[in-house]
Amino acid sequence: MEGSISNSSSNEDFAVGCMLSIKTTLGDEFDGQVITFDRPSNILVLQEGSKPGPRRNIRFLKTNYIKEFSFLGQSEDPLDIKKCYIDLQSLQDREELALRQAEADAERIGVGVTTEAQGIFDALSKTLPVRWDKTSIVVMNEVRVSSPYLPENVIGGTPAANDRVKKVLELERRRLQTRP
Amino acid sequence: MNTQQTAQLKSSANGFARRRSERESGMRLENKHQSGKLNQNRSMNAIGTSKAPVYESPSRDRLVYLSTCLIGHPVEVRLKNGSIYSGTCHTTNVEQEFAIILKMARMTKDASYRGSKQEYVMKAPSKTLIIPGKEVAEVIAKDVPVTVAGQSNELQNERHEDILIDSSISHSRHVELDRELSPWVPDEDDPQCPGLENIFDGPWNRGWDQFETNKMLFGVKSTFDEELYTTRLEKGPRMRELEREATRIAREIEGEDTEDLHLAEERGINLGEDFDGDEEVRFSSVIRGRGLDDSGYDEDEDILLDKRNTETFGDVPASSGAKTDHLHRGTSNDSAGALLTSSVDEPQCSQSSNGSEFFQSNTYDHCRQQADDLPCKSSTSDCNGRSLYGNPEILRVAQGHDSINASIETKTVAVDGKLSKSNESQSAENSQTAGFDRGGLLADAPSVTSSVKEMPPTEPEVVYVKADGESSGVSACRQPGTFASGSDHAGATSASSHPAVSPSSSLIGSSSSENSTLNPHAKEFKFNPNAKSFTPSHSSPVRPPSPVSDGSYYFTPNVTTLPQMHGMPVGIGMGPSYSGHQHVLFNPQVAPLRSPQPYFHPSGPQYGQQMNLGHPRQVLYMPGYQPVSSSQHL
Repeated sequence: MEGSISNSSSNEDFAVGCMLSIKTTLGDEFDGQVITFDRPSNILVLQEGSKPGPRRNIRFLKTNYIKEFSFLGQSEDPLDIKKCYIDLQSLQDREELALRQAEADAERIGVGVTTEAQGIFDALSKTLPVRWDKTSIVVMNEVRVSSPYLPENVIGGTPAANDRVKKVLELERRRLQTRP
Repeated sequence: MNTQQTAQLKSSANGFARRRSERESGMRLENKHQSGKLNQNRSMNAIGTSKAPVYESPSRDRLVYLSTCLIGHPVEVRLKNGSIYSGTCHTTNVEQEFAIILKMARMTKDASYRGSKQEYVMKAPSKTLIIPGKEVAEVIAKDVPVTVAGQSNELQNERHEDILIDSSISHSRHVELDRELSPWVPDEDDPQCPGLENIFDGPWNRGWDQFETNKMLFGVKSTFDEELYTTRLEKGPRMRELEREATRIAREIEGEDTEDLHLAEERGINLGEDFDGDEEVRFSSVIRGRGLDDSGYDEDEDILLDKRNTETFGDVPASSGAKTDHLHRGTSNDSAGALLTSSVDEPQCSQSSNGSEFFQSNTYDHCRQQADDLPCKSSTSDCNGRSLYGNPEILRVAQGHDSINASIETKTVAVDGKLSKSNESQSAENSQTAGFDRGGLLADAPSVTSSVKEMPPTEPEVVYVKADGESSGVSACRQPGTFASGSDHAGATSASSHPAVSPSSSLIGSSSSENSTLNPHAKEFKFNPNAKSFTPSHSSPVRPPSPVSDGSYYFTPNVTTLPQMHGMPVGIGMGPSYSGHQHVLFNPQVAPLRSPQPYFHPSGPQYGQQMNLGHPRQVLYMPGYQPVSSSQHL
């Protein structure tokens, strides 16, 4: 299909709205509707999903990575030009917000810890205040759980707190085992 | 894969961004005629000269537009080697290759990693991740707002932390919602009664037993027993009647007209079509009463209580010295008042008159009158041979306990003689008056009152009073007419005239002749030395705390002599639990009297006690009375 797209602007237009089924070289398979194709950069922008509305799932795909595709049909232009406005200010705000959120989330992720450890951390964080300290989980600022995060590794804190953390840890581990 | 995260690179990223914006603005200028709208609202007004070649194609515009939409949005970047990075899109450069800069990026899939998922080690997110366009194979973003509607909604949501209130959904100006929203209208049913109720009409008629169903489906045996949760109705012969009665009452209640909006709505009372108020008012909001203020004690209550007090105790002119307020003299309380006065004055009188004349009818009357107008000044003069106008006397007594002391002493002496004489006679006549303390009564206003309280049933006391210790006094006392206003009188007088003991016969005679209401058959009072002192168990609700309460206390001057008298209440004076001050003579020999005699505790409730009897008494207050305890007059 790439080859058939001529250089004339008019020709490019027809690609818009096509429903394609694409397989990428990375192993992805999906269906989408062409929103636009930019020849100079070889970027094909597709819209996934059929639901109308202001929010769409969008893919920017470089055509060089298309392994194969098939034409599913032709539909109308999914993008209504008349409604396309961008408010840069709101975009920036959105970005800021997202960043703040992401930073908060990043706190919760341990560096250099296994996914299992992260899972335990996440489970503990549901009911207890936890934070990472290198590769140890610090609960309630008192109790430390170090690798390999077994009940025996629970150290510190008042006996009551210690017991509580132990108990929660056991339960969480049990739950994680039953649910892979 | 060369992903770099250095400050330097960051600046170059900015450079990217700048260039891109320049390009965009350049494009905008030139593409206005083509897809002007696409670029119209760009607030970026970078300097216009664009150096890079401009692609005049709508497709390019679209690309740029869409990639701009990604800013601030979480995206997933797939690299050509298969790795995937997730992060927030900061900027893109689609001029040549799709370069992208991510903030807070994380590698969610490492192409080079071959280990099992379990051991995948997390890495810290990168603050800024620049991915060259060459590496980028694909960029995926979900739920990207591509139109105006999507954008503002999103921001709103985020601003309010994802709280979508109903009005923002329903009144959204953004036409591009998922579906057309129209306000709900009820079915053809009456709008007041939505048809939802029909579903569960008469569960007992439905023929569906949840327990059976459950058992059948799941084999669960139910232990439900309705009786556990409700009272069993006894279906006896009277069932019908009771039911009928109950439904009648229910109908009555439900049919009642009500001011309350919500009750009316429940009962189906129509409010009228043009009711002014929206749904909230009609169905939901709480109606605050107009002018209702239950914040506590009101002015009105205050006044009300005062009024009641006045009724009870009579008006007390403020002028009369200490706590004259509490010198109550209701019109009907004359007797009490007289009694009190007389009792109080007794000592005085005895002192002054030496027992010659305690009571005189005219004095009694006079006392009464004077009792009515509080400011009784000339008490001394009155006292002389008069039946004491108690109030001033009392007051004076209050202020000067010495006088009382003296009077008590005198009185004691005087009484002694009389008492001995009248002992027998009186014993006969002694009515039960629990707590009637002859001795005490004399000088003890409260006790008098109490005795008065007890008095009604016991008229012999009255007779007593008229005892002719002093014949003249007696005769004077013997004013059943005047006294007869209530047994109190009798009581009072008797109390007060205690010293003036007269032979029972005379008393009796007088009482009978004057149609006294004394009960000749009343039981004789027997003093119980083991009796506990009386403490009111509750306080009268009507009675506001009265300052005068302090002033009540007993006066038991003649304790010693009493033991001789059979059944004489002795040494009543002290209630055990006086709130401290004002303890008057205390007779250690005598155990405190039992409760039948209400002790006047220096606290409000006492009066309540009195009041409960229904006889408003005149209570003498001796507010400033200093305890005479030093002098144990026995």
